[in-house]
Amino acid sequence: MEDTEKLRETIICMRREIDSLRTENLHSQLLLSALDAVLCTSSEGDLFSGVFAAIKPVFECSLALVLLELHPGSDAVQCVATSRPELMHHSWPVGPFLHKVLAGRTVSGVADPLLDAWPQGPSGTLSAQQPALYLPLLIQGRRSLMVLVREPHQSGFDRSHVALARKFSLLGTHVMAAQRATLKEAESRRLRELQDKLQTSRDALRFRANHDQLTGLPNRAHVQELVTALIARKPPGGKLALAFINLDDFKRVNDLHGHAAGDALLREVTARVQSQIRQADVFGRINGDEFVIALDPVGQSSDVAQVIERIRARLQQPLTLHGTQIQPSASIGVAMFPAHGGDYETLRRNADLAMNRAKAAGKGGLDFFTPDLGREAQERLSLEQRLRDAVSAGEFCCALQRKVDIRSGAITGFEALARWVDAEGVMRMPGQFLPLASRLQLLDDIALQVVDDLTRNLPQLDAMFGTAIKYSINVSPAQAIDTDFMRRLTQRLPSGQAQRFIVELTEESLADTGLLEAHVLPMLRQAGVHVSIDDFGTGYSSLSKLASLTVDELKIDRSLVQTIQQLPRNQLILRAIESLGTALGLSIVAEGIETEQERDFLLANTAITMGQGFLFHKPQLIATLVGETPSMPSPAPDRLESA
Amino acid sequence: MVAMKSYTASGSCTAQVLATLAQTLAEAQPFTADFLCVFYDALHDDQAITLFLAGGGSIGLLLVQDPDGDYGTAAIRLQGNAADCAERALQAALHDAGCPGELPELVWIYQAPGQEEAVIEGLRRIVSDRCPIIGGSSADDDIGGRWRQLGPDGPLCDGLVVSVLFPSGGISHAFQGGYEPSGHSGTITRVGATAAAGGAARHIIAIDEQPAAEIYNRWLGGALEPQLAAGRIGEVRCHRLIHPERILPGGALSTFAQVEEGMRLYAMRGHKSHLVERAGLVAAAAAASLPGGANTLAGALVVYCAGCMFAVGEDMPQVAQAVAQRLAGAPFVGCFTFGEQGAMQGRNMHGNLMISAIAFGK
Repeated sequence: MEDTEKLRETIICMRREIDSLRTENLHSQLLLSALDAVLCTSSEGDLFSGVFAAIKPVFECSLALVLLELHPGSDAVQCVATSRPELMHHSWPVGPFLHKVLAGRTVSGVADPLLDAWPQGPSGTLSAQQPALYLPLLIQGRRSLMVLVREPHQSGFDRSHVALARKFSLLGTHVMAAQRATLKEAESRRLRELQDKLQTSRDALRFRANHDQLTGLPNRAHVQELVTALIARKPPGGKLALAFINLDDFKRVNDLHGHAAGDALLREVTARVQSQIRQADVFGRINGDEFVIALDPVGQSSDVAQVIERIRARLQQPLTLHGTQIQPSASIGVAMFPAHGGDYETLRRNADLAMNRAKAAGKGGLDFFTPDLGREAQERLSLEQRLRDAVSAGEFCCALQRKVDIRSGAITGFEALARWVDAEGVMRMPGQFLPLASRLQLLDDIALQVVDDLTRNLPQLDAMFGTAIKYSINVSPAQAIDTDFMRRLTQRLPSGQAQRFIVELTEESLADTGLLEAHVLPMLRQAGVHVSIDDFGTGYSSLSKLASLTVDELKIDRSLVQTIQQLPRNQLILRAIESLGTALGLSIVAEGIETEQERDFLLANTAITMGQGFLFHKPQLIATLVGETPSMPSPAPDRLESA
Repeated sequence: MVAMKSYTASGSCTAQVLATLAQTLAEAQPFTADFLCVFYDALHDDQAITLFLAGGGSIGLLLVQDPDGDYGTAAIRLQGNAADCAERALQAALHDAGCPGELPELVWIYQAPGQEEAVIEGLRRIVSDRCPIIGGSSADDDIGGRWRQLGPDGPLCDGLVVSVLFPSGGISHAFQGGYEPSGHSGTITRVGATAAAGGAARHIIAIDEQPAAEIYNRWLGGALEPQLAAGRIGEVRCHRLIHPERILPGGALSTFAQVEEGMRLYAMRGHKSHLVERAGLVAAAAAASLPGGANTLAGALVVYCAGCMFAVGEDMPQVAQAVAQRLAGAPFVGCFTFGEQGAMQGRNMHGNLMISAIAFGK
């Protein structure tokens, strides 16, 4: 019996060991299957599906899901992987039960009516009656758990499943980490693709930002960048030529043939220039009809001149636009680095100066920058700044020249003339600043300062000369049709005394009478301001326009008055003008009377009674006129010129 | 990390035993128990022992220190439906452990004899056979009904104490009988229920259509050692032992375990030496089944059928020695029971004359 007992005991022990080995083997098979599922799944595949497929037959579960802590310490978990898609992204609260699992315990659930251990899923996809096995996972440092669920009719998970699940938990953690890493790789690839697309888009946007849409050439900003880079790379002694190209009469092409033709011309110009320059040269469009070429490297100026001359010749070749033959031309100015500037902006400016000089000399010209051009430009720049400063400082004032009855010499009125008296007391005549002021669009401010000076001193002037005196104010042709300026001018006149003021318009103002007739003259009329045509006989006066306009006075230009006694043809013209003015009921003023002979002739041969000129009075500043300061010398006779 | 300590004390009276035990504990290194088992002779003063435990002392103590594990205990009187009582007690124990809804590693029970199958049924409603239910039916010295069960709130005489164990160091068990078939067998053809067993059939009325007692007696030549075939492991059967209680009028046999019509009965026989060795073998089997192997054993709890104890008699110290030797000196405590519950072939059941061991891993 003892032998039987021992044999029985031995068999039982062997059986137990075999069972243990079988269990371990089964566990190993499962783990290997799961690992194999990981290894065999493509990087873009769903690793979890493979793992689930491996564990499902062993655990005999119908559902698996992975719940991830929303954030460390969160009180909720979210489904991040599942064999049932409708559960994806569903969230569950973390109660004490799930908290324990997240802390690392592998649990097989048992029914507890007091415990809501198994949270419900959406649309009843999960039930508290379903046996569940919970095993903790760690996914990239974040706590999570895998839940294996059986159907309600199946038995619950036992301790052997718990033991296996503990082993699987470790593998599962690594699997999920691998999944995340794989997703990262897939994401990285997608990110790279997206990055490539973004790079392409950015390159396209950058191209658009740096290039002209019409011609495809680098735009102003990009040209500066490119040329600046070229300059930066120049070795000592290296040279570079910057050519500034301005298309002649480009506006006319647009006006006559339309903008489509203008665009076509620009594209043609682009192609023609590109055909004459090297690949490495920079060619850009910096403005509507302006281009810049940077020739690098270059030798002597003569070499540059040859290239530019070739470009100019090419540009001048006729082309047909929309059935119309056009003879394009361009004025070109060239500045050399480093002789004419050490940076792009200086070179461009100097090349621009040269281009302007070339254009002034005749369309289609070529000029190189020279130091004196630079000096002139510098002086002009300096004057510009001084002029701006003078406007800001209110340094412009009014000088008055008498208008007299040439028979008696009695003052009938004054003409207001602009003078610039700086802080040092130096006075500048209009010819020295008005053209520049016109280009800088400072004429309005200057004119208003002159008017303000006049109106400010009107009481004193009235005290000296009486209130019957009229004052003439000059406005430029541009100002004459600027209703806003004319309104501001009119508003500056003393209230109730507008009829004492005369606005002098040049004949050039009558070239386009639309706005003048429609808006400006009615406004002046309504205010009571009189209107005079200045410098009559020298401009583009149309007699029909003169007939249509309502003006009060004609001022015969000095060129017709000067040495009138010696010029019979001028005499005839003078008489004709006098007759015209008389017929229209206009007052006639003869300007520029400088000699007694001129005065005497007018008195003896015309009915002109009013005159103006140095014979009677040289312009004086108001302060001088009223005797407040000593009379200041007038450097040269001059008048307020129209810009 | 699991640590275990066991202490025993003997004396002529409860006070003396408690005094001895108290001194032993005082001299020992401080130990904080997360789970303790105490078994004491039925003669002892329950109140004194309860008071002693409340103050930290015990008789026949097994202390388990496992701060990373979870343990819970609940007790209930087996009144009314024993299955319902057991179910409630198990839920209460899980809540006491702070582990509601969790399948324990092992359920330990200690109950008044008579309704073991109903208790297991109630427990199985929650855990089924997914975890082992190990324990025993409390005994007394003379089957006089003076058995008691000690729960968290004190002793019971008709109670059930349920403990749920979630040790951090692993746990294993073994549940074996110390008998082998003698060669005779028959089929239960008629059974009878008993009120005391909660309606479960513990009366074998007929074997092979003949009065059970007669058949049984024929098999054993007058010996009364019932058994029940539980299944096979390969070619070696594992038998759940059933101990006949007495012969009833009409030749029926009452048993200490449930029987069913159609159940195959095998007459079993035992040998003292085998019964002595069996305890050690069971303990060794439990230790060997630890997840980390026998060398991770922290201690053990052994259940030894009182019927085997009576059979072993004066050789009982050898039983303890055999266990101690197989456990390589690891602390353990044993109890003697009038019925044993355990898991056999993955199924929780109640049997008699069984020996079980629970091994705790470190």
